[in-house]
Amino acid sequence: MATLDLTSISKSFGNAAVLHDISLAIRDKEFVVFVGPSGCGKSTLLRIIAGLEAATSGQIVIEGRDVSREHPVERGIAMVFQSYALYPHLTVYENIAFPLRVQKLAEAEVRQKVGRAAEILQLTDKLQLKPGQLSGGQRQRVAIGRSIVRNPKVFLFDEPLSNLDAALRGDMRVELSQLHRSLNATMVYVTHDQIEAMTMADRIVVLNAGRVEQFGTPMELYHHPATKFVASFIGQPNMNLVPATVREATGEGVTVELAGGHVMSVPVEGHAAMKGAKVEVGIRPENVTLAEGAGLDITVNVLERLGGVSITYGTIAGGTRFCATLPGDAAVAEGRNIALAVDPRDCHVFDASGKVLRRRQAPALVA
Amino acid sequence: MTDITAKAVSTRRAVSLSEGWFAWALIAPAMLFIGVIVAWPLAETVRLSFTDARLGGENWVGFKNYQDLWASARFFDTIGRTFFWMALSVSLKLVFGLIGATLLNAAVPGRGLFRVLVMPPWVIPVAIGCIGWLWLYNGYFGLLSGVAQRVGLTDGPYEFLAYRTSAFYSAIVTDVWVGTPMVTLFFLAAMQGVSRELYEAAWVDGANRWYRFRRITIPQIMPVIVSMALLSAIWTFNSFEIIWILTEGGPRGATTTLIVDTYKVAISSQRFGEGAARAVVIVMLLAVFSLIYLFFLNKVNKIYGVK
Repeated sequence: MATLDLTSISKSFGNAAVLHDISLAIRDKEFVVFVGPSGCGKSTLLRIIAGLEAATSGQIVIEGRDVSREHPVERGIAMVFQSYALYPHLTVYENIAFPLRVQKLAEAEVRQKVGRAAEILQLTDKLQLKPGQLSGGQRQRVAIGRSIVRNPKVFLFDEPLSNLDAALRGDMRVELSQLHRSLNATMVYVTHDQIEAMTMADRIVVLNAGRVEQFGTPMELYHHPATKFVASFIGQPNMNLVPATVREATGEGVTVELAGGHVMSVPVEGHAAMKGAKVEVGIRPENVTLAEGAGLDITVNVLERLGGVSITYGTIAGGTRFCATLPGDAAVAEGRNIALAVDPRDCHVFDASGKVLRRRQAPALVA
Repeated sequence: MTDITAKAVSTRRAVSLSEGWFAWALIAPAMLFIGVIVAWPLAETVRLSFTDARLGGENWVGFKNYQDLWASARFFDTIGRTFFWMALSVSLKLVFGLIGATLLNAAVPGRGLFRVLVMPPWVIPVAIGCIGWLWLYNGYFGLLSGVAQRVGLTDGPYEFLAYRTSAFYSAIVTDVWVGTPMVTLFFLAAMQGVSRELYEAAWVDGANRWYRFRRITIPQIMPVIVSMALLSAIWTFNSFEIIWILTEGGPRGATTTLIVDTYKVAISSQRFGEGAARAVVIVMLLAVFSLIYLFFLNKVNKIYGVK
């Protein structure tokens, strides 16, 4: 039962506070991804869990034991670094065996553990090579092998795929997910890439400026973003945020007038006091279609035909940018005006502080 | 048909010929420079070594100078002393350099200041440093002798440079003092090039300070250690001014290395031919030494993953 609990973790470097009061409860065998823009503190948080940095305040509990003041080895964690941190002068075998050599294990035991890790990672025929002779993906696997032999309670990954090219990244995502299933271990993974987060995570922690914006499953984050930041961070292309004014609001729904004059009633929980308030309506590019008749009018500026879909960038009257993912053969052209149909049930409404109004008809939360 | 082909070939040859001339023209200044500065003096030294050249004139004597050297027990003593001098001094420079670089690489407050403070022995002129050491080693007003008397290590004044053994080791100390800063800075630069993540990974794996030093720092900077050892060896082998200022090769030849011996014979005694023979022997010894060394450097680079 390798649970990982963080309680009120804060971190400052001198006067600069980089993490503010972060509390998370990570379950046993869970794959949790920390995602956020660069400088949001995600790597620092991971390094605090690893024991490479000390938290200014707060508590780290692994498997029910407070490890805040303990050495990484005593914490029972293993870490895979962004640069892989392989020792160039050692063979693959010795690189994987490194933690075992530190522990001064008997040669037979080392051989058995390295052999098993190499088998899991399909490195058996590469054991006598030096890291310099391996491809990026293989080096990555050696780095993972070094963490596997430790048999840690929690695996920590610091942007492990960012040095790989796009095609290899896709392959390694799948491999890492499989590895997580076969090792049945708790894993914490840091990335700035929301696709990695969405595809691999059981749950995602979205960090922004040192604070947790939201902690939930990928589908929760997609369908029920808690804030405007999460909404625009998750999903590709980014969610459109259209300024709007509330005409009427009840617990059943909110009627808004979008910039450009389009009016619609969105089924989110509002309250009467909101009338006249400035809000932003979030519409995902993939949730719009070409309207048969009247709809949300946009002027197409740039059209990207990808074959299967046409990504259409335009502006609403008033100048707000708007992106729509339309069918590959959609009858649109650059410079033309088109009307888009938007289902109000797909829309999100964010108040002036960036908080979301709860959606009433969105897909049920996936557990 | 054949005419055209022949013409094409000749044109191509003309082009390649003129290209060849252009290439030669480009490297000519460098060739001339090397010829005047390196090749000619070298050739002249070799020629002189087969003569009995003195101020008055020279006669061709064939291999006589070399035969004399071969028959001279003193000369072999000098060779042995030179290699011992080199081995001891270089080893000490490397050890102190490694210790110094490790300390300077540690994250301590005022690290920048310490890095500057390590440089003076290397930065000030060697002659000035050596004169300072002459005073330190002086038996009557020297600091070392004075302290030794005060604390009761010696009964009276001890003239460090007056006895064969103490003069030799005193010269080594000075040579190490002059040579260590540069080795230190080279090692420090190499250590700073080692990726921080390697240390962090090892730290997470539970490796202690000594283990990280032994299995990460040393292997990572090994190519620099080896190259520095070779350079330092050649410099130390040929180190002249330190010995000359401190002891002039004395007492009774105790600090006479090959380079000092060559100077004494060729310049002090003006026996240019015999001196040249010694110089040629030095060149050959260093060449053989360097070849063996480069062979090992190549091996080391392979082991430590340097291409």
